[in-house]
Order: sequence, then C-alpha cells, then structure tokens
Amino acid sequence: MVRKIEKSVADGYFREKTTYMVIYFIIWAIVSYGVVLFAEPLSDVYFNGFPLHYFMGAQGALATFIILLFVNAIVGDKIDKKYGIDEKRNEEIGSKSTTDH
Amino acid sequence: MDSQFIVSMAIILATFALYIFIAVYNKAKETSDFYVAGRGVPAIYNGMAIGADWMSAASFIGMAGTIMMLGYDGLAYIMGWTGGYLLLTFLLAPQLRKSGSYTVPEFIGDRFKSNTALIIAALCTMIISFTYSIGQLSGSGVVIGRLFEIDAKLGTMIGVVLIAIYAAFGGMKGITWTQVAQYIVLIIAYLVPVIFMSLQITGNPLPWLSYGDIVGKLGELDRELGLTEYFAPFEKGTKWQFLALMFTLMAGTAGLPHVIARFYTVKTMKAARWSGAWALLFIGLLYFSAPAYAAFSRFILMTQVAGSKIAALPAWTKSWVDTGKLQIADTSGDGILQWNELIIANDIVVMATPEIANLGVFVIGLVAAGAMAAALSTAGGLLIAISSAFAHDIYYRVLKPTASDRQRLAVGRITIIVATLLAGIVALNPPGAITQIVAWAFALATGTFFPALVLGVWWKRSNAQGVIAGLLVGLAVTLAYIFAAKYGGFTILGIIDTGAGVFGAIAAFATNIIVSLSTKAPSQEIQDAVTNLRYPEQMTYKNGEVYMED
Repeated sequence: MVRKIEKSVADGYFREKTTYMVIYFIIWAIVSYGVVLFAEPLSDVYFNGFPLHYFMGAQGALATFIILLFVNAIVGDKIDKKYGIDEKRNEEIGSKSTTDH
Repeated sequence: MDSQFIVSMAIILATFALYIFIAVYNKAKETSDFYVAGRGVPAIYNGMAIGADWMSAASFIGMAGTIMMLGYDGLAYIMGWTGGYLLLTFLLAPQLRKSGSYTVPEFIGDRFKSNTALIIAALCTMIISFTYSIGQLSGSGVVIGRLFEIDAKLGTMIGVVLIAIYAAFGGMKGITWTQVAQYIVLIIAYLVPVIFMSLQITGNPLPWLSYGDIVGKLGELDRELGLTEYFAPFEKGTKWQFLALMFTLMAGTAGLPHVIARFYTVKTMKAARWSGAWALLFIGLLYFSAPAYAAFSRFILMTQVAGSKIAALPAWTKSWVDTGKLQIADTSGDGILQWNELIIANDIVVMATPEIANLGVFVIGLVAAGAMAAALSTAGGLLIAISSAFAHDIYYRVLKPTASDRQRLAVGRITIIVATLLAGIVALNPPGAITQIVAWAFALATGTFFPALVLGVWWKRSNAQGVIAGLLVGLAVTLAYIFAAKYGGFTILGIIDTGAGVFGAIAAFATNIIVSLSTKAPSQEIQDAVTNLRYPEQMTYKNGEVYMED
C-alpha cells in the first residue's frame, strides 16, 4: 500500500539524522585532527603509561570511531522505528529497485 | 628443506585449499551474483569481508614497520585508515545503496545522466584499483619469494595465477565468503605474535593494555642514546604533512571503488550502516595491535639484539641480511652491534619479528599465511572493481547494451585475467615501495571520487559538466602534485607525495561547484532522485511529495 505522507514528516526524519551526523563528525574531528593540532602540549600528560597524544593516535581516536559507528547504527534504528520504518519492507523494496538492470 | 619451510608451506596450502573450496562452492551463476553477491550478505559477515578486502599487504606487512620507523608520525596511518569509515558510513554508503546502482561509475552515470561522466568514472576506477593491485601483487611476491627462497618475481607470478583463478571463478559471491575466511586467518595470524610478545616482555597477555609502559621505556632508551624520543611528535615530517596524510587516507577510504562496492552487497540502508560499524570493529582489532607490534619489535631490537656480539648473532639475521632488507655494519669496530648500526626495512618488521622473538615455527608460518591472505583478499576485491568498471560500466552500459548475461559474465572474467596479468607484469618491477604505491591510490581516490560522490549525494545542484570537470581537474592536480613532490622536490607546508590528495580534493570540490553553478541546473527528475536519497527505502520522494509504502 502506497500512501502520501506529509513532506514535513519526511523532512523531520532527514533533519534528525543529519543533526546526529553533524554531532558525530564534530567528535570525530576533535579526537583526530584536534588532538594532532595540540599534540605538543598534550605530550606532557600521561595515560596508562602513554603520553596522551600518542595514546589518542594509537588507541583513543580509533576506539571513539568504533563507538560512534555503533551509536549511529543503533540511533539510526531508533529513528527508523519512530517513523514507522519496517526493515522487512525495506528489504523487499531494496531488492526490487535493482532488478531492472 | 628445513622444518620452518615445511610448517609454513603446510599452513599456507591448508588456508589456500579452504579459499579455493569456498570459491568453487559459491561459483557465480547470475550477473548479480558476480558483482554484488546477490545482495544477500548479512551485515556482520559483510563487515568481516570489508575487513579482509580493506586490510592489504600495506596494513598487514607494512604498517607496524612504518610506525616503528616513524614513531608518532606513523600514527597518521592508524587514524587515517580507520577514520575514513565514518565519512563512508555517514555520507555515502547508505545513500549509494538506496540508489540501487551496481558500481560507483554507474551511480555517477545515472546521477548525472551522462555517459561521458560514466566513462571517466570507470577509467578512474580502473586507474585507482590497478595502482592499488600492483602493490598487493608485489607484496605477495615478497612473501612467496621469502618462503620458497626463490626470486620475488617468481613469487609474484605464482600469486598472479592464484588470484586470477579464484577471482574469475567466483566473482563477488565467491570472494565475499572467501574474504570472511581470509579475515579470520589474517587476524589470528596478526594477533598471535603480538600476544606472545606481550607475554614475553610484560607478562601480560593483553598487548593493548601492556604496551603503554613499553612506549615510555622506548623514550627512556632513546634519551640515553641521545636520540629524540620514540613518541615525540612531528620529527619525521611537518604537522601539516601529518594532517594532510591523515585527510588523504580518510577521504580516500570513502572514495575507493572496491570498498564502496562492498556496501552494494547488503540488502538495505540499515544493513549498510551496520556493515560499516562491524567492519571498523573487525579492522580495529588489527589497527589497535599494529602500534603494539611496532613498540614490542623496537623494544626487542633495542634491548636483546643491539648490544650483542656481532660474531654471535642468531641465525635469523643472516637470512634477512640476504634479502637486502636488513643491514648490519660494525661502524664503530668494537665487535658489538649498536642500535644505530642496525638498519631494518619497514616491510620486514612484521615478517621478521616472530623469528627475532623466537616465537617458534608455527607462529612464523601463521604470519606468512596471514600476509598472503591480506594480499590476496585485497587483490581479489580490486580485480572485481576493475572487471565491473569495464564489463558492466563500459561494455554493457555504453558499448553493447544488448549484451546477454552470459556475454557480460564472460567479458567480466576475461577482464579479470587481463588485468591480473598486466598488474603482475608491472609488479615484477614495481615503481615504488608497497606503502608508497598504496598511498598514491588513496590520493587519487581522494582527488576524484570523494568530491564527486559527496557532491553527487548531498548537493542536487551539482551537474554533469561540474562532475566531469571536477573528476578531470582532481585527477590532474593529484597526479601533478605526486610527481612534483616525489621527483621535483616541490612541497607546500612540507606536504609530500603521500599527502597529495588534499590538494586534489580542494581543486575538485572548487571546480565541481564553480562549473555546476555556471551551467544549467540538472533536470527536476534528477534533483528529485537526489532528494530521494535522504529517506529510507520505504519513503519515495516525487514531485515535491513524499510517499510511504507500508
């Protein structure tokens, strides 16, 4: 069944997702580019035996990236649910959209 | 024939038998099987396949050695090669999946309604993937050559035959499941020596927690020798080079056609999201361990090897000195090997450390099998990308739209064989070190596809003229900077050839935007199709209205 929905509802979906994405990218930039920019002052701080700038480069940034991706996947599912998106239907529609090749 | 050879050989043959069995068992029957594995790969396995596809000879063999040599500056590779997954998963992968296209060039062709753009994108795909695969083939040649104690060139030829067979046979479906197996082999092969070294040096089986103290101790050892500390920032290049390299590796990740192709093998946008998360988790296991590998290797070399009598060096030194990758010179003439008299090439650190640390024949053989898995799995994905760019995008979409399924499969397989042979021939005399060749491929992807795809997905005003000009300018600027920096000594802010992508990307974004704005806007139909990419599969945007399929 195809029905028309309010454009504002669809835009709400898009805005919500984009807002989260911007937040993720800000964190992403701080832990990688931000830390590199301030590597010299951070090297005087120690964490678990590491100078902090080294820890962030070797482990901290990467751990943050992985967490952000899983948060995005889980939050994305929640937003889908809120807007009544059904993954089963998505699969059907997704497989249809490619058969015309 | 020593016991080491027999054990290494047995492990490699056993893993190869497994890969070939999987490839034959999953032989492609339809075109969609060949390119996108029938789009039925679950996110978690797709994550492992992306991991194997992604982690190449450069990650497995080269990265730990690079970090050992560069210290902190080498961590640009750790952050760059992982941070790109956020760009890919947030900005591109789900949207490209919704578009329903088979390949990156096809998306560009459909999005901009232009066969010229399609052909240029297909050619860029072939250039990038071909450059990248040369590095993989020469990497596998080094491993095979070392193993059989034959010339690396002969080793490369053996690798070429193996790759051509299973890539041409199984297509993407075979490769996906083969890559899952390859991921498991390569991650075990990488973690076992790091864990053993951690136990040996610190008594702690968790290298990720224990090597912080070793990094600190390396700094002390360096101070005693009057060297700059291991972890001191920006000793090997400027801060701008670090940032430019990190950006190039990140944006290149998001623009590499063979990595994006992986996201076409999932069923939905949601599955694309989860695939990205699983992929980085699986990739992260190796990337968390590489700096530990580097620190332990350097620690063992500084404390156990340096300071020993040159006449009484262990057996491993001779076989690696013979490869030309290890140099020992008693410049001080005191009969004792000093740290500064030991010169070790980046590319042998991972391969040689298990021998140096005396981890036993089984671990050494396992590392060789893991290195082969890393090189072959990436080469397989690259060849599929080259094959689909030619057989699907150029042959089927432009040259012969009436081609049958069987003809397209045949052309695809022939392309793989021809591309493998050509790459193999170049790999016999590679134009640079493995990591260098791979870095150029990333710079090219950053300068071409990253701007084209980001603007294509997120800016509906971007048009065919804009994308064509952007792709060409990005390609030209990146290539020009690589050559000028490498051969002409030309640099801006100390940014060398590996960071070239940042200039290509700036030029391509600017060109795409300026040319798009000064030419006609795309048709309403195209603009609607771009808006449509914002929403999940169930929502369709048409003529300013949104429709929901329940």
